[in-house]
Amino acid sequence: MKLARFMEEAYHGAARSKKLETRRGKMIFSLEDLADLVGDKPTRAEIEALVPSDDDLLSKLISTEPSGKHQLLWGYLGSILAERSAGPLKLSSCNYAGLELRRGTIILQAAGDHVGERMSGGRIFIRGPAGDYLGQEMSGGGIVTQSCKDYAFKNMRGGFGVVLGTAGNFVCLGKHGGRTVVRGDCGARAGWLMHGGSLRIGGDAGEYLGILMGGGKILVRGRTGKRAGWRRKGGIIQAGSFGPESEDGVMGLAKRMA
Amino acid sequence: MPDPRKKIEALIESLEDLRLHVGRKDLVVGDERVNPQLFFLLANSCLRNRAVLLYGGMGANKTTLVNLLGSSFLSLSLGAVEDLMVTGHPEQTEEKIVGFLDPRQWSRSGGAIDMLWTPWARSRWKLINEINRFPSGKQNLFLEIIQKRKLSYAGQVLEPGDTCYFATMNPEFSATYPLDEALLDRISASVPAMQPDFLAGMALAEREREVYDLAEELPRFSSQEFDALPNLVTEVELSPQVELAILCLLRDFTLCERAPGFDKTQLSGTKPSKGLCHDCHYFNNPEVLCWQVDDGLSDRVRQDLRAFCRAVAFLLDRDADLEVLRAVAPYVIWHRVTPSSSMLNRPPYYGARKLSFVAELVERSINRTLNERGEMNLLFSRAADGEMNLAVALRELSYYDDPIARLDFIPALERMR
Repeated sequence: MKLARFMEEAYHGAARSKKLETRRGKMIFSLEDLADLVGDKPTRAEIEALVPSDDDLLSKLISTEPSGKHQLLWGYLGSILAERSAGPLKLSSCNYAGLELRRGTIILQAAGDHVGERMSGGRIFIRGPAGDYLGQEMSGGGIVTQSCKDYAFKNMRGGFGVVLGTAGNFVCLGKHGGRTVVRGDCGARAGWLMHGGSLRIGGDAGEYLGILMGGGKILVRGRTGKRAGWRRKGGIIQAGSFGPESEDGVMGLAKRMA
Repeated sequence: MPDPRKKIEALIESLEDLRLHVGRKDLVVGDERVNPQLFFLLANSCLRNRAVLLYGGMGANKTTLVNLLGSSFLSLSLGAVEDLMVTGHPEQTEEKIVGFLDPRQWSRSGGAIDMLWTPWARSRWKLINEINRFPSGKQNLFLEIIQKRKLSYAGQVLEPGDTCYFATMNPEFSATYPLDEALLDRISASVPAMQPDFLAGMALAEREREVYDLAEELPRFSSQEFDALPNLVTEVELSPQVELAILCLLRDFTLCERAPGFDKTQLSGTKPSKGLCHDCHYFNNPEVLCWQVDDGLSDRVRQDLRAFCRAVAFLLDRDADLEVLRAVAPYVIWHRVTPSSSMLNRPPYYGARKLSFVAELVERSINRTLNERGEMNLLFSRAADGEMNLAVALRELSYYDDPIARLDFIPALERMR
């Protein structure tokens, strides 16, 4: 029998093909090994393809504080380990903790920058202060922190965020969805370019609250700074009282209650 | 002559009913579940000049089961079959195993030299009990005997005819010796013999009569029926898919970019587990098998896979398809290879489940051949048949990073140029 006929009979005329995905590399014993394989700015899929199946080895990989260029890798590995863990995972306070987290729970004593970035599920509890970009671009899940610095919940699309103390400037910048609660005060330009979702502030808000806002709802129990709702195109802003030069159409809380 | 397969089915039923063998049915062939220990022994009984090794702890019904089957297939009493086996211990000699020159002939003058062959040597049902209790030097004796049709001693040759070989061994104990790789390669299939589980223990507790008495109730095969079995097995056809999957399986285990002739069986000293694969671009790729095992597979594996696929398909009265190959191949391969410890030591294998690890590799190879190697294989076959320009085929094949394309197909086409 001719070889070609043998092959055609073997495949019944339905031969398919997929190129073998080969990777250069060695066994992964450190973040440096992983970085050699995927570079410093990998996607989560690239990390998942190489991540050790052994949870002990994975724990060892993230047990040491990552150098600056390996922080993204550390963040992804921490999230993957949290997703595999049956119970809450305690991590050290490094940047990118909970990066693209999908499920599971992470507990942090304190947090660096970019915590919970692009997360779509699960929970992150921060027992101390968080840095900048907390919950940036998150689409699901929830974050609870004692306080946070600037740009918290920037471009948020879903899920919830709770700041038990004070928040820095630019909270919910460009937010499209989800719920955010700040029990204390927040800095300037909260809700800047906000398009959807809700922001509740238990204390006072800084100046330019809801600047250029196009949708969503901001509720402030205390007083806003000057120019609340400046150049606002849509959405609702309600506050206990407003500072000078507030935009027309913003409402007092008492009025809302009425 | 009655259908021998029906008699084998009756034998299986009798072994269960008489509580002579009640092992777990964890060999899955398509929709059927059977006991691997029993089925590989039965398959070997239907073949000739192949050897099956039962591997397991004490009292796992290894030796007794082989002798019970021998009793049924040879139509002898269990005691008579037990007299045919040889058992390993350091004082065993070639004379005790095979035979010796008859000393009485020295008092006679003239005539041919007389040999006193042992019952084991003359038998066509050869059980080597506790094979790893033979010292390494004595084990070499079996290298020649297994898979050969004749035995020789002092220039005398005995031809007992086509033979069924069986061996048993315990895990490594203080009085055992490691088995040589060449001897292991001559063993066609190795099957773990498990201790009875809870339900099996309950069933065995119901057995009150002696095994020797119960063995008398097993169906008996006539010599005509026993001799007909190999021909019946040969009538089972292997599908082209199975033939192709077997070929690719062997190449997946054997090819190595860094070995002489890309052949891992040529390696001595340096091996994948000893740093050979350092910085190889196939290393650490779970889709590729080459770096995950130290050893290549010989052509004996191909022959054994074909034979046992046919035999198991015959026993189950089904086609010798890929389901049969998936079930059979791990048992034919696992004793012949040493997996990479970095892979084997990981969960869910924990360094102890070598058979499961090899089964996973087999599954991966078969799936890859069926689902991902189609175009590549057709390309090569058309070029090899002269239906396609070699230069074009070589260029097309160079886009495939599969070890078979790079290390087997491309060099083969280059030789044809």
